[in-house]
Amino acid sequence: MSLYEQVKEALYTVIDPELGINIVDLGLIYNMEVNDNNDVKVTMTLTTPGCPLHDSIVGGVESAIYFLDEVGKVDVQLVWQPAWSPEKMTDKARAMLY
Amino acid sequence: MSGLTANKTETNVKLPLSFIFLGLVSFVLSQWIFLIHSDALTNGIFRLPQILMGAHLLLLGWIVMIIMGAMYQLVPVAFLTPIWSEKLGFVQLIVTGVGIGLFSFLLGFNISHAVYGAVVVIVGILLFLFQILMTLKKQEEKNVLTLFVGGALVCFLITIIAGLTLAWSIAFGSSFNYTATLHSHILLGVAGWFTLLIFGFSYKLVPMFSLSHGFKMRGSKLAFISYIVGLLLLILSFWLDHSSLSTLGWILLWVGFSCFTLDILEILKKRLKKRLDRPFMFSLIAIGFGWLIHTAVVVLRLVHFQDERIWSWLVFLYIICWVMFSILGYLYKIVPFLWWTYKYSSQVGKISVPLLKDMVNEKLGVTLFSLFTFGTFGLTISGVLQMDIAVQLFQAIMLATSIAYLISIVQVIRK
Repeated sequence: MSLYEQVKEALYTVIDPELGINIVDLGLIYNMEVNDNNDVKVTMTLTTPGCPLHDSIVGGVESAIYFLDEVGKVDVQLVWQPAWSPEKMTDKARAMLY
Repeated sequence: MSGLTANKTETNVKLPLSFIFLGLVSFVLSQWIFLIHSDALTNGIFRLPQILMGAHLLLLGWIVMIIMGAMYQLVPVAFLTPIWSEKLGFVQLIVTGVGIGLFSFLLGFNISHAVYGAVVVIVGILLFLFQILMTLKKQEEKNVLTLFVGGALVCFLITIIAGLTLAWSIAFGSSFNYTATLHSHILLGVAGWFTLLIFGFSYKLVPMFSLSHGFKMRGSKLAFISYIVGLLLLILSFWLDHSSLSTLGWILLWVGFSCFTLDILEILKKRLKKRLDRPFMFSLIAIGFGWLIHTAVVVLRLVHFQDERIWSWLVFLYIICWVMFSILGYLYKIVPFLWWTYKYSSQVGKISVPLLKDMVNEKLGVTLFSLFTFGTFGLTISGVLQMDIAVQLFQAIMLATSIAYLISIVQVIRK
């Protein structure tokens, strides 16, 4: 499995503790890059700018990626534009909210 | 894309938790005092020194301390700026805690010296206001939450100045209008400070807890303006003894509360999370109680209803069913979050961690919230009907439930 795939899989283990849904299905991950040095850059958002779980989720993303042996540096960029919207969720996530 | 690398906004968990636990102890003490002096409640003698002691333990010791603790946690996350000085926060905790204990004790046992306790409380509160002012100054983008929180803090400042004036007059005597000052103190403390703050934080927390999206909050500015103008008119009516101004003031408070309620209904309508957490629903039910009480007040004003005992019980219902129930519900979300952050935040992404709802016993919460509601309405009805035994019984239910609530919160930090 490529490092890109491993990182993606690791992100599924980061769960929003309020909703009980992983951040990938929630649509919080906007972009993911792995360069030749195995440095990982993740661009992500949160459902709302004042989210109290801000530090926990961002820290969780860093930890989950650093957990992989081959990874070099990890850079998590938190962005508010474009803002998160429900359309970014997967059907699985939507179903879990009902 | 506009981006930032994640910055820390969390407060040292010991600070908000210390406020919250001191508040919970005050809550139980206040209910115990009300039980001992339940005969005064039955007879509608709300200005008895011991009842004043219980009332200030409830309002300052419980509600204000909880709000301060919650704000130390919520302000950094809601305003995206860290607390200005945590060290000042701990100093403020000690000064305010000692001040409230001393002030309440003096109110009950040596009221003529209560002014000395009041001075310590005011120093503590001024330190808090300074802390929040310095924190809000750092906020980059002001929003509707800033408006409500700012308005609430101004009301709080005027409330404590009026409170000090009252304590001063009891100690040294003075010629100013005591009744108008007392009414302004109660109005600005209960409706100004508490209500505006709950409005502001509800605009942030309700969408967050219900995962709502696409709502407009169209009524927020009108809610703010209407509520502030209503408060000003009511204060004027107290000082000028003007009945029409008073009626208009109550109507404007009702308009403000209705705008807020309609906004919350819209937020809930557009929520993605269909099954809401039970404790959070209790805070939402409190909004319904608040609106009903505002409506009842307007109706009673319009029919020129004068019975002072009924008005006193309405103030009681406003404090318990609107302010306290809101806080009881939110606390079941805030404390688990605080403890989860302290214990599990650094473990996210490394090991499997519990969800926030696993931190608290929701079923017990539902039972406790039902008992609080049952106790409050039973107490009010038996108080209005002056049934001494029933007042004692319902106050005992309130005391037992407050102890169980305290234990249920303590259980969170054992997880």
